[in-house]
Formats: sequence, structure tokens, C-alpha cells
Amino acid sequence: MKKNLVRRSLLLASSVVLTVGRLEAVDLHVFGTNMPPLDFHGFISQGFLATTKYNYLGSDTKDGSFQFTEAGLNASMNPFPRTRITAQGFLYDMGDAGEYTPFLDFASIEYTFNDYIGLRGGRIRRPQGIYNDIQDVDLARTYVLLPQGVYESRFRDFSTSLDGGEVFGNIPLSRAGALSYEAYAGYISVGSDSGVADDINNSLHGGNVTSFDPMPAAGSQLWWNTPVDGLRFGAAFLYVFNFDYNFTVPTGFPPPYPSSVRLRADGRITSQLYSAEYLWNNWTFQAEYYNDQFSQDTTSPAGTTHSFSYPQAWYGGAAYRFNKWLEVGGYYTEFYEDAPVTAASDASQKDAALSFRFDPKPWWVIKLEGHYIRGTGLLDDNANNPVRSDDGWFMILVKTTVSF
Amino acid sequence: MKLNLKSFWLKIGLLTALLAAGSVRALALDGAVVIVNPSVTADSLSADELKNIYTARTRYWDDGRAIIIVVLPDKTDAALQQASGMDGSQFKTFWQRLAFSGRGSEPEKADDAAALVAFVAATKGAIALVPADAVLTGVKKIEIK
Repeated sequence: MKKNLVRRSLLLASSVVLTVGRLEAVDLHVFGTNMPPLDFHGFISQGFLATTKYNYLGSDTKDGSFQFTEAGLNASMNPFPRTRITAQGFLYDMGDAGEYTPFLDFASIEYTFNDYIGLRGGRIRRPQGIYNDIQDVDLARTYVLLPQGVYESRFRDFSTSLDGGEVFGNIPLSRAGALSYEAYAGYISVGSDSGVADDINNSLHGGNVTSFDPMPAAGSQLWWNTPVDGLRFGAAFLYVFNFDYNFTVPTGFPPPYPSSVRLRADGRITSQLYSAEYLWNNWTFQAEYYNDQFSQDTTSPAGTTHSFSYPQAWYGGAAYRFNKWLEVGGYYTEFYEDAPVTAASDASQKDAALSFRFDPKPWWVIKLEGHYIRGTGLLDDNANNPVRSDDGWFMILVKTTVSF
Repeated sequence: MKLNLKSFWLKIGLLTALLAAGSVRALALDGAVVIVNPSVTADSLSADELKNIYTARTRYWDDGRAIIIVVLPDKTDAALQQASGMDGSQFKTFWQRLAFSGRGSEPEKADDAAALVAFVAATKGAIALVPADAVLTGVKKIEIK
């Protein structure tokens, strides 16, 4: 009921924006005309996805699902020379994650000393690869669904924002182009109602995560902007010092406990993401390779057990813009749950996607996308997918976004 | 699938060198000129400096004032591609990514050349590509070296 009300509200807001027509960014002069203008931008996206064989992304997609909503509203201003303040509120719904609950997505202040170096502090969106910091901003890409092995939509709580600071800048390399960098450190905060928690709960057979500790993390994103116009290569690194959480398991959970017990897991994550992107005339070519190493010690009344996993994923894709209202793109991606790579269909997923992006107005985007998928390594949702096979399956997505 | 990173980056470097050998950085803005608000002290910009502005690598003028880019969609796309290395759509997406990740503000948009010139004239720190035949009042034309 609550969801329906929220959805109706979102659709109403969407209609209002559509009715307004061409609505550009709004500049407000606050506190009289002597203050610098406040620049507003926002968007709202509503999607639909349906699958032929499994329930995907936490929703009942075999019946078709509208649980695919995102909305953001941000404001920014330059109150002093070389100083910028910005903040964004966000809400989303993706299966059991998000639930339309508004939250502060980022809020930061930055000072740019010169082109070479600047500082940004507060809640920031974490740079990682081509898409991580805008993975839930539909209007800023060709595809509806990004390659899920690299940009897992349900893990946005963990992957997008961080409370801390970063240093950033651009270093000219003369005839070799330029190097852009961002290096950050801070804490990642994840709730027990997050997509990450859902993923862990999936393996607890009725148990559930009760709390996460704030996760200290540090990382960097480097981009080499080559002397060839539009061609760049990137490398991103992330180290999560403590991925720690408390959880319960039900009676009989292996090793068989006589009753429900509280356990604790202490983990560490190291991840790398290598990127290549080439914008050439109306073409956009992209390829990325991702891997992480997840090491975890689980403490229980029976003692401490150690586990380790090494997921990998990659994709390659291309998009061509025919004119200002039509772009067509596609990608192929593979995900492997653990190394050494195995071909087991429940531990891997291969996905070929074809996407059509229509821009009927500068403020309105409509996308239609089809996927052919083999493997179920990213389904996770065991309860809603009790039977799996090696056969391929299809997914279709439709999404529309209005923005200003 | 074991990736040999050393070999991978070596091949990438060689490929880029080959591509770069065929590219000469010379800037000719098709049918457009660069204008700024008179508060901007610079009288000229190099092609690289202009590209740095349009790709968000340079975001402040020397006096610390924020650079405000103003665009005229569909009217100066060829010049925009020459200045930024991106077509109109790619340029728009590039700045949307910055805006919605907290790393920049989207360029302002104007409906026609007269409105663009008026906006640049009234906005300190503003810069724009404008059709070469536009009437320039209250703005400063910038030479691109």
C-alpha cells in the first residue's frame, strides 16, 4: 500500500515535469542578489523489467516488475573563489533494496588550488571505472542495465558513496596527454536493509544480517587521457580494511547449532577495475575488467572459520548515435563467481545486451533493451529461484527518465 | 582466463602511440568563435587550454572565479566537437555524469545566439562558442592560438 502511494506520487511528479515541458536547470539567487546562484538539477526514472525464466534483481520479474525506480535532486553553488558546495538527495527501489526511502546521497565541499590539485570532503560519490559514481543515473548512459558483474545494481549502498575526503587533479603530460587522478579515504556505511545484506542473507537459510560496522576504506581512480582525442585508459583500486557485520543463523545451520545464534564476520576486500574508453565521431567504445579478493573470518561458538573468494567480470561494448534522438548500443559481459574460473552455470553468468535509447526531447529519455543470458551466477535470490538449469534465458527492460 | 597485465599495458601503449602519431593537435572552430564575459582577463587561449575548460580539467579562471560554460545546442556542435573532442550528445552526457556525481555543474543552455550572447554578457566567468555571424554585444571575443 505504502509502495503504491509512493509510486503514484513519483508518477505524478513525473507527469508534472513532463507537463512543464522543456525545463532547464533552475538558478536561484538566495539571500538577495549578492549571493552566487544556486544551481538545481534533478531527474526521475521509472523502469519495467521482465524475464523468461528466473526472478532477477530481487523482484518478481517472471511476472514483470516495476520495482525499478530512481530519483535524484541536487544543488550546487560557488560561494567563494575556487570553492564549490554541492549536495544531492536520492531515492530508489530495486527489488527489496531502497524501498523509496529518501537519503542524502552526497554532500561535499571542495577547494581547487589549481588544475593539478584540489580537495573534496564530506559524503562523496566514489569513483571507480567508467560508471560507478553514476551507476544509478540512467540519463547519463546508453544502457538500462550496466554489466552486473562489474556494476551490481543491488550493491549501490556499498559501492557508490563514502564519508571522508579525496584529493583530485589533472597533470598534463605534454605530448603524452594528461593524467587525471582521484585518491580517497573514509568510511562506507551500509544498513541491514541494504542489497548487500540481502545478498548475505541469501546464504544464511533463514538467518539475517543484524548490523554492519562502518567500513574504513581507501582507493583511487587514475585516468590517462591519451593524446588521441576521446581515448582514455583507467585503473581503479579499492581496499576495504574491515567489512565486518553481525548476523544470526537459524537452528540447524551448519555446523548444526542447537538454537539460533549470533555470529560475527570480519572481512577485507581488495578490488581492481581496469577501463578503456574511446569516443570516436558518433561511436563510443568501452571495455572494463574487474576483480576483487574477499577474505573473511567468521567467529561462532564453534570457533573461527576462514573463507576466500575471487570474483571476476569483464565486458566490451559499443554504441552508435544515429542522430540527436536515437542511439543504439550493445555489450557482451561475463561474470565468474570465483577463481579459478569454472564454467559451472550457477557460478557464472554471460550476458549479451542490445539497447535502444531514444531522446524525444532534451529532457526526456526512453530506453528499450533486451538481454540473452546464460548462467545464473548473479541471481543470488535462492528462495525465488529454487530450480535452475543450464539453459539460456531472456530479459527485456523498458525505462524512461525525465530530467532538468 | 589469466590476464598478463604487463603485456596488456605494453600493447595499449604501442596502440596509443600509433594512433597519436597520426593526430596533430590543431584547432579550427567551424563557423564559431569563442566569447567570454568581460570580467575574464584572458585575451587568448591555446587549443589545449580551451579543451581543458570544455572537459572540466580547468574549472576556474586565474582569479578564482568559476568558469561557467554556456552552450547553444545543435547550432555549434561542430565547433563543440573540435573544442572538446566530443559530439553534442557525448558532451551532454559527460557533464551530466559530473553533475549527478557531485563533481561539476552542467553547462547552461541558450535557445538562440542572441540569448547566449546576452547570458554571457550578464554572467561573470561565462564562456561560450557562438556562431561567427552572431552580433557580439557586451562580450569579449577570445583568440584561440
